[in-house]
Amino acid sequence: MSVSNMPALQLREYLERLPGTTFRKLYQQPSTAFAIFRRMLPHLAKTFVMRMLFMPAPMLLADLDLWVKPDAKKQKDQALFILQALHIVHISPPSREKPQEMQLTTNFKNSMRRALTGGGTHNSFGVPSTLVVPPEIDIPFLDRYARKKWEDILHFVVSSVGFKSAGEVSGPNKSVKELLIAGRLVERRPNGSIGITQTGFTFLLQEANAQVWTLLLLWLEAMETNKMAGLEAVDMLSFLFVLASMELGRAYDTNALTEQRRNMLPSLVDFGLIHVPHHKRSMFFPTRLATTLTSSGNSLRSISEGVAAATSAAFNGTSSSGGPPGHGPLKSSTELKGSVVVETNYRLYAYTQSTLQIAVLALFSKLNMRFPDMVAGRLTRASIRQAIQFGITADQIISYLAAHAHEQMHRTAALTNKPILPPTVVDQIRLWQLENERMKTTGGFLFKDFEDQKEYLAVAQFAEEVGVLVWRNDKTGMFFASRHEQIRDLLRNRKKAE
Amino acid sequence: MDAVDVSDHYEVTTSEETPSLLSIVLDTNPRAWAALGNVLPLSKAIANILVFVNAHLAFSNSNQVAIFAAHVNRAVWLYPSPPTAKKPTDTSGDVQMQDASTSAPPGSANKFPQFAQIEAAVLASLRKLTDETTGEDLETTTTQLSGALTLALCHIHKASQQLSAAGTNLEDHTKSSAATNPMKGRILVISVSDSEPAQYIPTMNAVFAAAHSQIAIDTLSLSGDSTFLQQACFNTNGTFLAASNPQGLLTYLMFGLIADTEARQSLIPATHDKVDFRAACFCHGKVVDTGFICSICLSIFCEVPENTECLTCGTKLALGNYGAKPAVIPRKKKKKKKIVNGTPREDTGSGAGTPRP
Repeated sequence: MSVSNMPALQLREYLERLPGTTFRKLYQQPSTAFAIFRRMLPHLAKTFVMRMLFMPAPMLLADLDLWVKPDAKKQKDQALFILQALHIVHISPPSREKPQEMQLTTNFKNSMRRALTGGGTHNSFGVPSTLVVPPEIDIPFLDRYARKKWEDILHFVVSSVGFKSAGEVSGPNKSVKELLIAGRLVERRPNGSIGITQTGFTFLLQEANAQVWTLLLLWLEAMETNKMAGLEAVDMLSFLFVLASMELGRAYDTNALTEQRRNMLPSLVDFGLIHVPHHKRSMFFPTRLATTLTSSGNSLRSISEGVAAATSAAFNGTSSSGGPPGHGPLKSSTELKGSVVVETNYRLYAYTQSTLQIAVLALFSKLNMRFPDMVAGRLTRASIRQAIQFGITADQIISYLAAHAHEQMHRTAALTNKPILPPTVVDQIRLWQLENERMKTTGGFLFKDFEDQKEYLAVAQFAEEVGVLVWRNDKTGMFFASRHEQIRDLLRNRKKAE
Repeated sequence: MDAVDVSDHYEVTTSEETPSLLSIVLDTNPRAWAALGNVLPLSKAIANILVFVNAHLAFSNSNQVAIFAAHVNRAVWLYPSPPTAKKPTDTSGDVQMQDASTSAPPGSANKFPQFAQIEAAVLASLRKLTDETTGEDLETTTTQLSGALTLALCHIHKASQQLSAAGTNLEDHTKSSAATNPMKGRILVISVSDSEPAQYIPTMNAVFAAAHSQIAIDTLSLSGDSTFLQQACFNTNGTFLAASNPQGLLTYLMFGLIADTEARQSLIPATHDKVDFRAACFCHGKVVDTGFICSICLSIFCEVPENTECLTCGTKLALGNYGAKPAVIPRKKKKKKKIVNGTPREDTGSGAGTPRP
């Protein structure tokens, strides 16, 4: 489920910080409502939304309990929590006269209905260009283009560690470099060189789709603080969602865009999200980076790609015909499935030629052999310690290995019903980290001084159910939660009810 | 936090969303739709179904959909266009359909491109289907449901094989497909006509095949008496809904049938609790309440077959004392065995509730 992953969380955090009015504006666009629905919600929440979508009247909150099996209460509460946080569902405050009711927020409901039925004149799925498309621009071309752009960015981040593996790359545009520095993915060292930060490592070890979002959110934030060119974050965000719902390989009309959105295009070209042909400025092509923005975190790598036989054929075509086989969202088909094998004896094999991936692996493992199509190495205490000194965490390493595990690992795991990575290795990586890091910090809120034990128990129970509880101590009547909005509402409601 | 707990991280590996393939079998029996005409015309029903299809596709971009028509005399692909192997048999039709799906310019900026494409394809192939339906076809009053079900099953199987072929090698394919189903398949039958007893065997074969490969068959029955589909849903853990107000088709679809197999694990299904378990006999295709069953191959007959030989396996059957009045045999009283060692428990009072073997 996309929400449990790092990538979605990041976008979610950004969205949850937005005020309700912003959401109302966002949801005016069917494409935005559609994209947020598709990307941000867990499966059960999607089912709830679909069931409520064509209901004429608000439904009772108590009725929701009748829908769900008793043992799935936790999932239900979590789904409801996310739906409320994203302002998709509105639940009326409790009162004595009337039972609590829930309904979809008006804008979301209207937009979602419109997205499904396809009416209206909102133009939110992009206006296709009527001009003749240059014949050389096809899907393989766009893939190559986007891969080149994105690899340049990643290489820039990686090479700042000192693994000068790719001297031939030209590097990303200056504005992108500035953005990376502003976003503290890399920082300028006193001697003038560029060094990677811990955020940078997190960024590198993320999956491609999450990387794109991280960069875009950085960009949005930077724009917001600069207030440059009168760009409005809400509008920019909804334009990104429009891009995500466009069709790969189709030309869209630049003139149909608003002035603001036209101003965004140069930056999007720098990121490789869109392509604008040199001699035809009035059309643009979204690349795969853009059209997969709303797919769940790892579907780029996953089997779903296998479905579209045609596209994967195109993939194979490009990777054999030219261009270095890439890391990033546009990996060749073998790499789509992951390429890293980890054995219980800490040996690590990666079937890859990508200098980028090798450089990333070298961050936390000791590579000792390189063959034409694979590298072999070991995870050692020294290599992990070194990585931890760089600021990489064990969790990041583990999730990177899991995300890039070779198909064979998935298969054996599925057959023997065991986890994908060998548990000994996972444990050991964590133990190596624990050797000098004995604490893990979690940001959040401490709740204490409840009026009585009963209130404490009820609130702590609630926090546990919505999945924000981090720590509790029944004896002292305190608990620690990672979020407070829901609990605050609960407390307020309890106060009111009394 | 306080311990090295690896179990947290197992989630990382299992969080992948499995794509879900929804196959819709639409009963296009012209007579039945004509009868429904003033309540729910076919065009309106199609529009509603398309919205439902869009809703399914909206869940995830790896979700897929396939639509089949169960027509009076054949089963027809509505979307996606049929596999090209079929081409020589009806070239003209095939070409027309592919035209529709590729060239139909989804010029509108108000519609998700994929949705527009499906809509165009479905409408084009339905139009083709109605154009090709001749008067002769109408003489048969029933619907070829089993054919469409089989087609849907084959499509799901093929799609999931394609998926696993992309992921795994052939060697341990059989094992891995049992361990991890690469996709969630589901068949939704929108039925408007009665079940045809003559199709009992093929339909049930399809149903058991579906149950074997863990594909749920859901049914929305708009009119007619769909006995076999009730059994199909029951056998495959699907949902059976009988719509008392067909004009509310979309509500039935969105509320009762949007949840796929994953969501159903945590939802209480909206379903009929009454299942018509009657079977059809093998000799005349009649739906029977009581009948005769071959003790060897379990074939069902509505009357004693000729020469008392099973029509399916040829076994000579003996009829026993058929036709004899059932005699009421008094139940034998069980004597309580005396317990040799220890105290007998009869006096405790709790013995009254003990169920008898």
